[in-house]
Amino acid sequence: MENNEYVVQMKGITKVYPNGVAANQGVDFNVRKGEIHALMGENGAGKSTLMKMLFGLEQPTEGEIFVNGEKVHLSSPNVAIAKGIGMVHQHFMLVPSLTVAENIVMGMEPKKGLFINYKEAVRLTEEFSQKYNLHVDPQAKVRDIPVGMKQKVEILKALVRGAKILILDEPTAVLTTQETEELFKELVHLKEQGYTLIFISHKLNEIKQITDRLTIVRAGKSMGVHETATTSKEEISRLMVGRDVVLTVEKDKAQPTDVVLRVSELEYTNDWKKKMLDKISFDVRKGEILGIAGVEGNGQKELVEMLFNLNIPDDGEVTVNGKNVIGVPQKDIRGYGVSLIPEDRMVFGIAGTGTIEENIMSDRCSDQKYNKGPLFNMKAMHEDSDKLIAEYKVLCKSRKQQVGMLSGGNIQKVVVAREFSAEPCLIIADQPTRGIDVGATEFIRKKLVELSREGAAVLLVSADLNEVMELSDSLMIMYNGKIAAYFEDTSVLTDSMMGEYMLGLKQQSDEEVRRVIHE
Amino acid sequence: MSDKRNIMFEIARGLIAITIAIAVAFLLIFASSDDPASALQCLLIRPVWTSGALNTKSILTILGRTTPMIFTGLAVCVMFSANQFNLGGEGAVMAGGFVAALVGIYVPMSAGLHVVASVLIGTITGGLIMIIPAVLKVKLKASEMVSSLMLNYVVMYIVLHFLNMNFADRSKGATQTFPMESTSLIGKMVTGTELTWGFPVAIIATILVAIFMYRTRWGYTIRMIGINESFSKYSGMKVGAVLVISQVIGGALSGMGGAIEVLGRYETFRWQGLPGYGWTGLTVAILAKNNPILVPFAALFIAYLDRGCELMSIYAGVPAEMIDIIQAVIFLFFAAEQFMAKTKHKMVVKGAKEEMKQIELAKEGGDL
Amino acid sequence: MFETIMSMVLTSSFGFAILRITTPILFAALAAVVAEKAGVCNIGLEGIMMISSLFGVLFAYWTNSWLVGVIAAVVVGTLVAMIIAIFALKLKTDIILAGIAINLVGGGGTTFALYMFTGLKGNTAGLTTPQMLTPRINIPLIQDIPVIGEIFSGHSILTYVAFILVAVVWVMLYKTSLGLRIRAVGENSHAADSVGVSVLKTQYIALALSGALSGLGGAYMSMYYSQSWNTGIVAGRGFIALAAQAMGQGEPIGAMFASLFFGFATALSTKLEGMQGFSSYLVASIPYAVTILGLVLYAISTMKRVKKHRAKTEAK
Repeated sequence: MENNEYVVQMKGITKVYPNGVAANQGVDFNVRKGEIHALMGENGAGKSTLMKMLFGLEQPTEGEIFVNGEKVHLSSPNVAIAKGIGMVHQHFMLVPSLTVAENIVMGMEPKKGLFINYKEAVRLTEEFSQKYNLHVDPQAKVRDIPVGMKQKVEILKALVRGAKILILDEPTAVLTTQETEELFKELVHLKEQGYTLIFISHKLNEIKQITDRLTIVRAGKSMGVHETATTSKEEISRLMVGRDVVLTVEKDKAQPTDVVLRVSELEYTNDWKKKMLDKISFDVRKGEILGIAGVEGNGQKELVEMLFNLNIPDDGEVTVNGKNVIGVPQKDIRGYGVSLIPEDRMVFGIAGTGTIEENIMSDRCSDQKYNKGPLFNMKAMHEDSDKLIAEYKVLCKSRKQQVGMLSGGNIQKVVVAREFSAEPCLIIADQPTRGIDVGATEFIRKKLVELSREGAAVLLVSADLNEVMELSDSLMIMYNGKIAAYFEDTSVLTDSMMGEYMLGLKQQSDEEVRRVIHE
Repeated sequence: MSDKRNIMFEIARGLIAITIAIAVAFLLIFASSDDPASALQCLLIRPVWTSGALNTKSILTILGRTTPMIFTGLAVCVMFSANQFNLGGEGAVMAGGFVAALVGIYVPMSAGLHVVASVLIGTITGGLIMIIPAVLKVKLKASEMVSSLMLNYVVMYIVLHFLNMNFADRSKGATQTFPMESTSLIGKMVTGTELTWGFPVAIIATILVAIFMYRTRWGYTIRMIGINESFSKYSGMKVGAVLVISQVIGGALSGMGGAIEVLGRYETFRWQGLPGYGWTGLTVAILAKNNPILVPFAALFIAYLDRGCELMSIYAGVPAEMIDIIQAVIFLFFAAEQFMAKTKHKMVVKGAKEEMKQIELAKEGGDL
Repeated sequence: MFETIMSMVLTSSFGFAILRITTPILFAALAAVVAEKAGVCNIGLEGIMMISSLFGVLFAYWTNSWLVGVIAAVVVGTLVAMIIAIFALKLKTDIILAGIAINLVGGGGTTFALYMFTGLKGNTAGLTTPQMLTPRINIPLIQDIPVIGEIFSGHSILTYVAFILVAVVWVMLYKTSLGLRIRAVGENSHAADSVGVSVLKTQYIALALSGALSGLGGAYMSMYYSQSWNTGIVAGRGFIALAAQAMGQGEPIGAMFASLFFGFATALSTKLEGMQGFSSYLVASIPYAVTILGLVLYAISTMKRVKKHRAKTEAK
């Protein structure tokens, strides 16, 4: 018989996605009634997958789930809702043009004859809003309310449906400090009323502040359950941020020369009015790899967008060899010798139903080399694609194969083959090995080092500690839209030092950070 | 799944779709005809085989009728490849045909030049028309589909206006222009059939469009933008300009089709409404899976059915409009991504397993 | 010249004509609104109207009852819309292509069906009896008011139904749970999914309603406006309705005004046709040209709004 102490028990959960990625491997996850339980882990560690299974969005490949001691088969969110489980998604599941009350009652609308009893919907919203101290304006349209209130609407949506167990997926990611404080008060209030809360986060201060216990997952495996009060931040950071397998890449000491990429005072505030880039300044020099480490969502994505004109900053400058790139068409940026390995390879990196060859040629299709008058020089194209396919070890039948049919690693090799072969003077590599196999990872990393030693400037953005620490000659850490730390020499760094800066426990002085600018 | 197997699957799927369409046709024939056997014979056999012999004349007529469909089919291929749902082919065909006819009537030129100039001016007219929906889409994000649909009617009425008010030959009963100069007419390849020299031009156009789409940087850019616009922008392509160009090319091809049809099949311009080739072109392009090289074959198939339906209406009393139903059914199934998706999924899984086995073998054999 | 036009426009018969011409476009525009609210673009309205107008008239003929005809048109419209739904939602045919296929059927398939059922070719003019036509309604009291009565009284019963349906559709969309779900699905299907509202089911229902509404439009065309069915009966009204939907910002009331606007443009063009110095053909193109213009204006206003919004957020 199951232990009644727990409202949720997930036992030996393994989840293998159809593409072969094992997101969870034998994870145990137990939550006590009436506690706030933190689920921690880096991006891609498998915490979202675990929670998706608890909310019925995914089914485990192996393992059992018990809710209130009863074994359940959560085949859809509806079943999970019926079992008293509610989820507040990171990206709000709200309809902007509907009012708060309408969003809350959708799917279970109170009726008066043929019509929705809107008054009753408002009353219900107000009742729950007061009962749980979650203040919302029932009649306001969701698109007009601030982010913090949207989140309350999400929580109310779950509560109205009778949820007793609430999963909150990185609820503070989009909130300001004040809103976060307010949310925490509300969560504590809920806890006092007997609700159980599962809190997904990687922000140490928050976890320390409100959770009772915490479970850490790393690389799909559980790193154990800990009492929050008796576990130090340093220990959490060590458990969470750590390297399992260390792929070493041999490299000579860098001999950086001239500045290639110069970023100064870059500022950007996103649509939710959150400051994503807060006066970021740094340089990347010829012949070096500058790594940017940090937990995702601390401004790295926005930074890369600005460097390739995929977004426009509010203020600041970006130059490559002295030439401005802000607002400059991508064709010209590429002409300056900039290559980008985009974070989302399926959106920016490839045209899925195009052939491998077509994908390799996308940035150079109008080069003289590949054109004979109005026609393509197919021979030159075939030769060079075959050469690149061989050089980059793209596992495929021929250059004519559809690129979308390849495995993730081989797709990334195609992207890398194109970007690296453009003779770049600056390579921006954004999460270059995310979600791909070990072989491809090792290959891409070696290539990056090789190119930097041949004289390219490399900016490596990665949430993978292994990667940034192994590859970077010097390294900076981003936290909250700022540079939290800069290390000229990465060889002295340890995981725990990194973790402290990545999770915001420490911040270098302005002086120290400014060393990243080389006059 | 390997590409070859994928192609085989697509072919099988297409054949099944066609079979379903023909089956629907059978049902309709049985429901509407007193003599289904002879109706079927008219639909399927008579176009090529009449009273015990190969009917060359009919075959050539079918070939001739593919001409305008090839042009509009190619036009749709180019525009759909760029992911632009521009349905203005109808208007471009009509305007192209009309303007070409006017050049044929009123601008005397030497023999060889006249026909070429007429067709070219018709082509340009078609292209110019499409600038409207294309620019509205790129600059204002206005749906090219709705604006091109409306444009068809505007173009039709403008043409009818000029036809009736300025260029009508009042001596004739039905509204039509004065006859075009013989120097502007496209000659018949085989007299007594509908096969004109426009047909080889259509085939040349097919080859040129195929080369354009698969062997030039512009065609390549069009295709890449159609597959993934973000990728194209990131790769440094000029997305907006190319979207306009693709639609202008579509319009030009349609205009050329209209010009060649008018100069080849008639002595005067006498269309009283939109000719319908724009829509047929859509079916042709869907059948050809947006691949220009397959367009003539798809057009041949539709023209064959069209001729079959026509014969059926003459000899078996089944209305020729059945062609539209057959087209619609083929169309629906051809474009249905999930049609037979389960079978495909099974094949994908099987293929993936085999591939993995091969990779394993390769690894063992190699130095990894 | 201007005065002659004004004197024509400022007559009660002109007002009457506007309402008469607006009716079928309004039905179809409402159909477009409902579908679009659920996030599906029903470009098959044209074909649905063709098919339902034919079957409406046929059933009316067989039963000698206009009411049965109207009901049949609605049922057939719904069924045809369900064909689009099955292909688009289940078999994942692009919804635009599915709609175009239905338009193909509407174009030639109707002629075929007419022949199959009656042996007639091209039109049903010979079948029409007074019992098959939807009755005109004279509104008590209002019909006696000068001018107003002449404009608003004496229309087909379906004209009144159309304008009543504007309110009904609005109430359905904004006051019932179905409407709430339709709007939610169209705007953020994930949100609907997250509370267990089936996206597919909702879209099926929206398409069915869309089919029923355009079926009424078809019935009006063949059982009142043209008095019989013929091959050119719908003449792009389904497409104009799509534009009316866009110009009316996807709202029933907005679509009504956009439809009235087209009604006005068309009524004007028919009036001008008879006048010296106006080409009937150019005049006939006015409604379509106006539609393009309307789309352009709408697009510009949307762009400006987006820019303004951006400027506002930047200022903050």
